[in-house]
Amino acid sequence: MKKALALLLVLVMVLSFGSIAAFADGVTLNVVTSYGGDDGNRGNFEAAVKAYEEATGNKVNDGSATSNEEWKAKVLTDFETGSEPDVLFYFTNADAEPFISAGKVVSIEEIRAEYPDYATNMKSSMMAVAADGKQYSVPSSGYWENMFVNKAVLADCGVEVPGPDYTWDQFLADCETIKEAGYTPIACSLVEVPHYWFEFMVMNNGTVANHLELPQSPDDEVAAKWAAGLNDIKALYEAGYFPANTLTASDAETVELFNAGEAAFLIDGSWKVGYFTANAADLNDFAISYVPGKGDRSASEAIGGISMGYFITRKAWDDPAKREAAVEFVSQLTSDEVLSTFVTTEVTALVNGASPAGLNPLQQSAADANANITAIVGAVQDSLSAEARGDLFANVQNVVTGKMSAEDAVASALALN
Amino acid sequence: MNSMIYKKKSPLLLFLVPAFLFLIVYLYYPFFQNIVNTVMKIGGLGRAAEGMNEPWYENYQRLFTDPYMRVALKNTMILILCTVLFQVGIALILALLVDTIRVGAQFFRTVYFFPIVISATALGLMFNLIFLYKGGMVNQLLLSLGKLPYEIKPSGKMIVQWLDWKDQAHFLFTMFLPVMWQYVGFYFVILVTGLNNISPELYEAAALDGADGWKRTRFITLPLLRNVLCTCLVLAITGALKVFDLPWVMFGAGMPENRGWLTGTYMYDQTFNKMNVDYGSTIAVLIVVLGVVLSNVANRIFRPSEDI
Repeated sequence: MKKALALLLVLVMVLSFGSIAAFADGVTLNVVTSYGGDDGNRGNFEAAVKAYEEATGNKVNDGSATSNEEWKAKVLTDFETGSEPDVLFYFTNADAEPFISAGKVVSIEEIRAEYPDYATNMKSSMMAVAADGKQYSVPSSGYWENMFVNKAVLADCGVEVPGPDYTWDQFLADCETIKEAGYTPIACSLVEVPHYWFEFMVMNNGTVANHLELPQSPDDEVAAKWAAGLNDIKALYEAGYFPANTLTASDAETVELFNAGEAAFLIDGSWKVGYFTANAADLNDFAISYVPGKGDRSASEAIGGISMGYFITRKAWDDPAKREAAVEFVSQLTSDEVLSTFVTTEVTALVNGASPAGLNPLQQSAADANANITAIVGAVQDSLSAEARGDLFANVQNVVTGKMSAEDAVASALALN
Repeated sequence: MNSMIYKKKSPLLLFLVPAFLFLIVYLYYPFFQNIVNTVMKIGGLGRAAEGMNEPWYENYQRLFTDPYMRVALKNTMILILCTVLFQVGIALILALLVDTIRVGAQFFRTVYFFPIVISATALGLMFNLIFLYKGGMVNQLLLSLGKLPYEIKPSGKMIVQWLDWKDQAHFLFTMFLPVMWQYVGFYFVILVTGLNNISPELYEAAALDGADGWKRTRFITLPLLRNVLCTCLVLAITGALKVFDLPWVMFGAGMPENRGWLTGTYMYDQTFNKMNVDYGSTIAVLIVVLGVVLSNVANRIFRPSEDI
């Protein structure tokens, strides 16, 4: 009996070592991206990760989440506390400067010294350059922001789908008609995602050419332009064009309001196309249109660009076991084939361009709208520090309810920048 | 043998020192470092301090002038009051009721304790759906009962004026109800344990003397439960000061319109979202001070009786 028990224990030990050895074959990579939650490319990302795991035998610990200010703050905190991931898919603008300047990520130049083919399928001119003049991230797909419309709601209200010459006055008249018909004109949570409207309203009070200028003082022309944009949002709020609970609703709630045929307009980004593809009852009810133009801005001028990319952290690079796995992961996720599955109508930095497969009605609508876009510019908010941006958008609710003037909100944000 | 154990104290130290060292490293050192942080200028978690604040007590000054801090303190005090009245109060009533039944007591203990084991995040999401503006459970119920006004447009479209449970008129109720609901079971279990420790002979003697159920509760149960109740109150007060997860999931950063802050959520927002680590540390110190002061006050008011 004792011998049998001893044999059994030995067998268990041998099998245990065997299983440990089996795990030791591959490397486990910690990866953080914004392809979490209801991101339209979540499915494509999962498929790409699975393909990588099968091809390499490595494992991926996926710590992806939905991108918002809280997520950005968490990523930066992880770097500061030494618990950063091995590979990070993150914003390439001022948001990345804290960990770039701290030397926590590896430059493309350094990686290419050992892996000469790294990211050579990308146009160098379209890769983000950090403050130190070096390139650190391999760009993924780009983005655009524009107006989604619910065609069924518009038809019920007798309102036409806006074209590239849509004006602010036409928009206000349409909103009034839609409101009278019992629908919510604009789906937006001003407490969670006021930034889409802020960006276009600022551009409506300036031009594409000067859109990326930052105020140097609370009294200069650019600050006045920003305040005018905030006041335009306030006017829409006071007219009752946002959902009744816009100051307490989540973004998910207001997007669902739009999806369920209760709201007519929604400003959002290219990533939301995937959401509607997965959740809309009938994609033909939706279209990509144009944000109404005002002053010197035409409705055919939109926000867009390439704002995110893959970083390899110094921690992974200095780990001999993870270095190759991380390089291989980024190379595979940014290959022409894989990136083409992420892209429908967005721009890419691929030298050969992306070749997306057949487009659905909403994607086709986005492609048609993009064909009419006369100018595209990045988001000015990306040039603000996280603290300043957080303060500015947290104060939008105070501006629209009259607790704070738009000028004071801009001054408060600038003081933190 | 027993006498040897009591005479020789040194082995006890062997067991006490590791836990003591652990607390020094992971509780007292961070706590004192946190106090130091309150006078420094720190622009992000893990970042080195950029010198001292000018003046060094700037953050403490701000505590008294910050309108959102006043909101957080006011809401937290209301939460403490609700916690004492409703959490401990309801738990006491339930414990007294369950103590009187012979069949099914174990069943009710499990049922009332169950919310404790569910994660606060899951509960927050669940209550978000219950209080959802359009189509939430409560609003649908009110609509079916005819309690929500609605209008039929010429097109036949029905426009319902849904009740916003997170607006300024309702947010305290919506925020506190799940917190109350989650922790009633915790105090219930403590109180039931206290009730079980009361000797049944006392009740039998009182019954022979002709005391009815209310008199037995009033003159035997409640006085003998006083020490346990005192412990529950201290736990409830200090617990309410630290409440964070459920309100954060449901209301995020100060919703609605910065009127929904609690000390816990405001500290988190300042530290992790606004990257204002030194001010977040100052709020943390205030939470600790309030906890110590309030639990001492509670101890003095409901001083445990040494006769019990």
